[in-house]
Amino acid sequence: MKSYIWLQTVDGSIQQVEQEIAMFCPMICHEVIQKGMGSSKNYAISLPQQVNPAMLSLILDYCRFHQLPGRSNKERKSFDEKFIRMDTKRLCELTSAADSLQLKPLVDLTSRALARIIEGKAPEEIREIFHLPDDLTEEEKLEPLKNATDDPRIRLLNRLYAKKRKELKEREKLKVTGLLISMFQNVEVDEELVDDRSVDDLLSFINGDDGDSKGIKTSKSKKKNRRRKDLLKSTSAHEATKNHNKESNGLNSVCRSAEVGQILPGVGATTNLQDVEDDIFPNKNEFDDGDIDDEIDPTLKEKIDREVEDFARRLNSDWPERMQEILSLGQEKKPVHLSLNGKGS
Amino acid sequence: MRTDITNILPEECISYILSLTSPTDVCRSKLVSPVFRSAADSDTIWGKFLPSDCYDIISNASSSSSSKLLTSSMSKTQLYFHLCKNPIIIDNGTMSFGLDKATGKKCYMLGARRLSIAWANTPRYWRWKRVPESRFSEVAELKEVWWLDVKGTIETKILSPNTTYVAYLVYKFSSSRYGFEKKPVDLHVELGESDAGRTFRIFLDPSANIPQFSREREDGWMEVKLGEFFNEHGDDGKATCSLREVDNYTLKKGLIIEGIDIRPKDSR
Repeated sequence: MKSYIWLQTVDGSIQQVEQEIAMFCPMICHEVIQKGMGSSKNYAISLPQQVNPAMLSLILDYCRFHQLPGRSNKERKSFDEKFIRMDTKRLCELTSAADSLQLKPLVDLTSRALARIIEGKAPEEIREIFHLPDDLTEEEKLEPLKNATDDPRIRLLNRLYAKKRKELKEREKLKVTGLLISMFQNVEVDEELVDDRSVDDLLSFINGDDGDSKGIKTSKSKKKNRRRKDLLKSTSAHEATKNHNKESNGLNSVCRSAEVGQILPGVGATTNLQDVEDDIFPNKNEFDDGDIDDEIDPTLKEKIDREVEDFARRLNSDWPERMQEILSLGQEKKPVHLSLNGKGS
Repeated sequence: MRTDITNILPEECISYILSLTSPTDVCRSKLVSPVFRSAADSDTIWGKFLPSDCYDIISNASSSSSSKLLTSSMSKTQLYFHLCKNPIIIDNGTMSFGLDKATGKKCYMLGARRLSIAWANTPRYWRWKRVPESRFSEVAELKEVWWLDVKGTIETKILSPNTTYVAYLVYKFSSSRYGFEKKPVDLHVELGESDAGRTFRIFLDPSANIPQFSREREDGWMEVKLGEFFNEHGDDGKATCSLREVDNYTLKKGLIIEGIDIRPKDSR
């Protein structure tokens, strides 16, 4: 004679289930043994609210199959694979119901299925699958980036931010230097045509019209390169000393606000020179100067070296007069206080 | 009807489901919703991703490292991320232990003192020195040698199972480097007693137009891949990794060795 357990689901309906099937659930087992419930309709075991009739039916199917000891592992696996084929919402409901009945094997089965669904998906996709609203704040969304996972997208984002920041800094620096260089070139158009032409030569060389002598590798080139670095360093140091803290803003604003197109017809030269400088000064501190030399054509390098030496010479000797001319050329009349003769205004 | 599953599933269930995915998936899931975010920080998840013998390994850490103090006060989540970024020094300062962030698998670096370097104890040929940028107390600097033979071994039983591991030599060149552009070196990895292993021959300091196999690491050192091996159950004995140049005709100078880094394939 079979014995039955009486179960009541959250909607009030009561049903009877074979004992050995029902007892497969630890929670029901506990109710029967510890509390003596479930033996009749009046004493039906109240199941947790997660267990509606549909879920109960599924769970009992599972129990009915697995509680038979004679099943082979292969059979069980096969049953399980077919069993969990249901939509995601049902899988979630089933997980919750099985969890409330403490039926761990079924919780494992459904959880693994859900894990496989989540694996490898982007957050938007997961939200789509589970019908979740996009209700994290911007701040909350950014926070995981700090925790730095190896998610390539997050790494890329962080790298892009850093790169952008660096680019902006570099561009500002080179802009000022380059503007100064071409400003001086332009100012001297009347006096020293030779200089202007050499910039053009430079330009055409960079752009590929190669007419000059091919690679003459000078052993001096290494020293020149180092000096160049120092020169450019002293250039910017020069700027810093000539322009005191407050005044530097004035100078920079003159450089930037001045209509570049009008004052500096050679603005193309500016950009190319900047690109060349980018090549010459890669951001790799470990490399010897010797390595840097290998990247530039020697003839081009000589031309650049000559240019820079000219520029530096001019800077060191003519700075005050040049500044005066630039300022008078400037479109915007901003009051700029500069120590033009090095002694203070 | 569109129901929010977080109304159906309690947070503990979500945490359990997440623990069955991978560290990368869990971190990504923090961007899904507030409930997922909270579920993803659960210690039960990260405790699962930590290697089972993690605490044993930490307890064997060199007493000089403050890491012991730190790690004993951390939650499992904090410990996981800590070990990913900050390898701890173990085994009397000869090895470092850390985790691969994306998988939670174990990573080790064998310090130079733990390697078998021919002639390393002869001051004429090799020098041992402290450098601040090394995680170990000493690195080996090659003054000059003809017979260059650097070898490291690791027991597969301490590695994570079912993982393909890659071994890298972690090194730098000093300003007096010589010989590595003239002669290629032999890079070799073999597993256990019976494996012949594979050997690659490359220039460690290639001139122009010759492929460069080394790359820069995040900690400022260089690394070159010695080879790889698959660890199944950890019962294959030792994996042996080596770099050699032993034709005895070329003088070599200026190689600084920090150690051999062994980590899962496709990790950074």
